[in-house]
Amino acid sequence: MRPVRVIGAAAHRWGKFADRSSLQMAIATLGDALDDAGIAWRDLQGLVAASSRFEGGMGWGLHANEIVQAAGEHGIACVNVGGACAAGAVGFHTACGMIASGQADIVAVIGAEKMPRGFIPRPPGSQDDIHDGDYVRWVAMGATNPAYWAIEARRRMHDYGTTRTIMAKAAVSMRENGARNPRARFQTATSAEEVLASPTVSDPLHLLEVCAVSDGAAALILASEERARQLGAFPIHAAGYGIGTGLFGDPAIRVPTVAATPREGIGHTSELLQAVDRAFAMAGIERSDVDLIEIADNSTWQILAWPEMLGLAAPGQMDWLVEQGEIAPEGKLPVNPSGGFLSFGEATTAQALLQICECVWQLRGQADKRQVPDPKVAMSAVLGLGANGGSVILTR
Amino acid sequence: MHSTAPLAVADGLFSIDGGAVRLVGTRCLSCNSAYFPQTVSCRNPDCRDKNIEECRLSPKGVLYSWTRQQYQPPTPFRMDDWKPYLIGLVDLPEGLRVLGMLDMGEEEAAIGMAVRVECLALHADSDGATRHTYCFVPADQPEPQP
Repeated sequence: MRPVRVIGAAAHRWGKFADRSSLQMAIATLGDALDDAGIAWRDLQGLVAASSRFEGGMGWGLHANEIVQAAGEHGIACVNVGGACAAGAVGFHTACGMIASGQADIVAVIGAEKMPRGFIPRPPGSQDDIHDGDYVRWVAMGATNPAYWAIEARRRMHDYGTTRTIMAKAAVSMRENGARNPRARFQTATSAEEVLASPTVSDPLHLLEVCAVSDGAAALILASEERARQLGAFPIHAAGYGIGTGLFGDPAIRVPTVAATPREGIGHTSELLQAVDRAFAMAGIERSDVDLIEIADNSTWQILAWPEMLGLAAPGQMDWLVEQGEIAPEGKLPVNPSGGFLSFGEATTAQALLQICECVWQLRGQADKRQVPDPKVAMSAVLGLGANGGSVILTR
Repeated sequence: MHSTAPLAVADGLFSIDGGAVRLVGTRCLSCNSAYFPQTVSCRNPDCRDKNIEECRLSPKGVLYSWTRQQYQPPTPFRMDDWKPYLIGLVDLPEGLRVLGMLDMGEEEAAIGMAVRVECLALHADSDGATRHTYCFVPADQPEPQP
């Protein structure tokens, strides 16, 4: 396989933009990514889009086609990928494959999303089918997504003695980073007291411990090593990229299912472990080499649990790292220097690409007030509906 | 307690056998895996035959964890006289971990407690019939008399 480099990165601001379509956000963001790479629309040989269920794509998930028809008709390959919240990582993986295989020298990947307000509901038009866990979770118990994370959080409190204050401090850390990120939706810091005083969503999780839903867009430009060198791009290597799905026997109760079949020896959230293990194997580096991570903090539980699940911290160690402030950009294990989902709100198909953009800016030393000191390895990890896991390791 | 068999919010969710509530799932006869809700196949990648049939799941389990859901969920969830309620995750002896409402006070709910399945009235349909879901209650709570 040919090596792949990241030569451009751009992201829209996150928020709620009633007067802007996802297509307008996509075109503006992709344009910024082209500028960042120093290339023109005509230089693109392929466009991979993370396809949204909520808006655009001509109703068929054809988001890449919609973009080139609106902004750059020059016959390129368009690939539209699903993956729900992990779609951006699946799209990045797909675009890397197009370059690694030699099919193309410059490919862009984009996710642009406008989310409906409130709890993410059941897709309209879905059949009432007893075999469908999503149907059962709504009609039989009304289990919202935060309820799943809250159940995990309470179990962690039981297993490790994690306190509500520690979880609140994880949210405080995210918002401190978000306050230093001009693209974040929420750019104000908060205190543990404010987090714990915010309304309970699903006990023990409070409103400020659960990610909102936002509108947003992010894009990356990938190139072969030779084209990257010709363009004089800052050398960011796509050293490892992995996608994966779940294993039979995974103990996790996965949104939107209502039952798991736990079996001895199978890791929790196995789709994520598959993706991350593949990314590490491809990159040929160790866990201890990672300088920062961008993970899907749908709630404060993930901030504590995921680094341990991924082998970046020992079981139960994250409580101490959060308590000591070691997940801050200048800490031992910087987690989400971007501010994470808790500062951005989730714009599903764009979110995994925003994570990768942040990794790029950090490695380039362009992260301004939230800069991790001199990072050489940055890693992203994301989870999506349908037991989709995705992870990217970038190096310089 | 139930003069007529309670109607479920979804057909095939649970059954009432001689007054006792049982979750309806699927068992794979080839590899002995159990699933809930009913499934169209067996998920075990090492199982080739995937010879499945409908089954009744064990009524008793152990509470793995729980939450109090404080906000009203969107449709298609319906609950008359809605108020915050508990949702729990329960380990059944078949190797299944099942999510469901808990019909118990928050002060009663404890990780590791023994629970059993029951049914719970959720809402009245337009024709006046009451729809029920399954739920878990403390195992030592007396069973309703048929």
